[in-house]
Amino acid sequence: MLPQRSRLSVLIFLIPPLALYGIAVLLPIFQSLFLSFFDWDGISPMTFVGAENYITMLTGDTVFWKAFGNTLGYVAICLVLQLGGALIVASLLTLLRRGREVVKTLYLLPAVISTVAIAFLFQRVYSLDPVGLINQVLAFIGLGNVQHAWLSDVSTVLAAVSIPEGWRFTGLYMLIIYAALLAVPAELEEAAKIDGASWWQTFWRIRFPYIRPVWITTTVLATTNALRGFDIPYLLTNGGPGQSSELLTTYMYKTAFTSTNYGYASAISVFVVIECLVAVGIIFLILRRKADA
Amino acid sequence: MKHRKLFAAAATTAALALLLTGCGAGGSSGSADPTNIHPTGDIKPREISWLLSRPADGGVITAMKQIADEYAKDHPGFSLNLISTPDRPSYIQKYETLAAANQLPELFDTDATPFAQKLAKQGKMMDATALLKDLGVYDDYRPAALNYQRFDDGSLYMVPFEFQLEFFWYNKALFQQAGVQIPTSLDDIPAMCTKLRAAGITPIALDGQDQWPLERYMSYYPFRTAGPDYIQSLKKGDAKLSDSTGTAAVNWLSTLGTAGCFQDGFSSTGYSDAQASFTSGKAAVYNIGTWELGSLATDKLDPAIRDNIDYFTLPVTKGSVTDANEYVSPSGIGMAVNSKTYDPLVRDFLSFALKRYPAVYAATGALSPTTNVSTTIPANATPLYQRAVDQANTVGDKTAMPWDTQLDPTSNTRLQQELTLLLQGETKPDEFISTMDGVIGENGPKAFK
Repeated sequence: MLPQRSRLSVLIFLIPPLALYGIAVLLPIFQSLFLSFFDWDGISPMTFVGAENYITMLTGDTVFWKAFGNTLGYVAICLVLQLGGALIVASLLTLLRRGREVVKTLYLLPAVISTVAIAFLFQRVYSLDPVGLINQVLAFIGLGNVQHAWLSDVSTVLAAVSIPEGWRFTGLYMLIIYAALLAVPAELEEAAKIDGASWWQTFWRIRFPYIRPVWITTTVLATTNALRGFDIPYLLTNGGPGQSSELLTTYMYKTAFTSTNYGYASAISVFVVIECLVAVGIIFLILRRKADA
Repeated sequence: MKHRKLFAAAATTAALALLLTGCGAGGSSGSADPTNIHPTGDIKPREISWLLSRPADGGVITAMKQIADEYAKDHPGFSLNLISTPDRPSYIQKYETLAAANQLPELFDTDATPFAQKLAKQGKMMDATALLKDLGVYDDYRPAALNYQRFDDGSLYMVPFEFQLEFFWYNKALFQQAGVQIPTSLDDIPAMCTKLRAAGITPIALDGQDQWPLERYMSYYPFRTAGPDYIQSLKKGDAKLSDSTGTAAVNWLSTLGTAGCFQDGFSSTGYSDAQASFTSGKAAVYNIGTWELGSLATDKLDPAIRDNIDYFTLPVTKGSVTDANEYVSPSGIGMAVNSKTYDPLVRDFLSFALKRYPAVYAATGALSPTTNVSTTIPANATPLYQRAVDQANTVGDKTAMPWDTQLDPTSNTRLQQELTLLLQGETKPDEFISTMDGVIGENGPKAFK
């Protein structure tokens, strides 16, 4: 129990960041919630419409559901690349005796490059005319017949816009997981090896349970980041062709700033907030339950 | 007790949030009368800003910079701050957000969109007819240039700074190689594409990424078969794409897709890549305006294909209600004058600038929106340059309005998306029609009420 004076000083130090959080995070969420009950174009008087925006969004808007489906696909691809890729690279890194720092830096590099530069880079990588890197490689290995306009095909575009986002942050999550793997006591692994455990058994029974708290945090980070993904799909395809790479975030942005339908866009933004909270809840539920089992 | 305090704090936060939101809502109308073009008071030089969407090194900005410098010499303390966002969607977002916050600068660019019309109705923009007439320059403008800027009711709130003609540029050598002629009817285009494809040539280079170039193709057929009024009715939901005019237009577009008229992967091709495809001799046709004369009709063009470049105007159709000399001739995004910040200085500067502008702008080799000056043909121009400039004097009265400036933004966004799918063969014409009629029916009447 802290003495009275210390408690006061703790409170004094805690209040400014709390206030900042309230103004920067909670206030806009409340504002969005408030706006979502109105019809407003930004320049005309606001009209109260009750739950109409939510009813339209959930029952009558096909683009919204298409964007929601795309968002789930986008999150799945990003998670596989970011968490799967990060875990594999981090595990391999622990085996490396020399040059770890160089490899770490190289993997982390995409995370520090500006998003616009990444979007331009991938636009060239995917391009068919002029022929981009992927199509050049395909031609080089004799697969010229599968050359493709990756960003124009409705069946490949979602994966094509998800990959840069996944690639970009793999290095970052790899660092976090690598740090966690380093903390796994070597004697435990050695004991397991002596007992005849295979590499997979050692990983699954010793390493993974040990890094589970870090894994949960990383999964939450990666999922919420992917759910809020916006910039790369927006810059690469602007949601097209058609709505094939439209995400909830790009749809919300267009609804607000192109259609100037701020009320409806706010309803979508409230949905995005709820979606993130639900996703985090599910992750905790699944991974905690596994830990308890 | 503690809970009550917490509750009070939460309630205060919520009330503050509502209050702040309420403050941002609605916005106040312009303080000045939009027709009062003679504000009283002295001219007090200061910095004025123009929020615009034009290329930073383009003719308009170059000319206006020069004019602002000339004006500043006699009015120390004056400066013109040009804030340009050439990318149109980004610009529109910026301008609409500033309008919502009632923070628009003295001058700002806008097309004659429903949003701009709302601003005009709220008295936030100066009446351009009154302003131009008062400055004595109204009659200098090409009627087509002013008409392009008008709202549906004929009112004028934007001043044009350009005049452009949109042509189909083509490569004569590639046409010859494939054995095709210039299409005389829009219905000849699919056959032209098939022949060019068969000869291994990309028929038409299209910047699909920016979406407006493809939307032009949507407007062509109805402009020929039903005239410029069709889009006026369609956007309000009074006409439907399911009627004969709309169906014919959609079917024609669909045939452009099946004939492979545009390059593979056109939807992810950007502006410069599309142009490079034509200027490198890979694509046979490129539909673009006279703002590209500097790239297409000067010695900047690769000597190997320079002499093979020519252009034709929008082909007609059987029973066309518009003439061959009537096509897309836009006067570009217009400039609106903010009534809230309109004062003797803004008036005096505009008086100076709008009188001086045509001569300075025409000297850059561009077509002026007025008829009182002649365009200076650059020394490095090909004969095509002069021909294109002269063509401006033969343009007919009716203009094919780009649909992206006509439709409400929600319908426009959806149309752009659906057009790509139609041309890629992902949707059938009847699906396209039913989707678009539904979207326009839901959003159009609301936007133009």
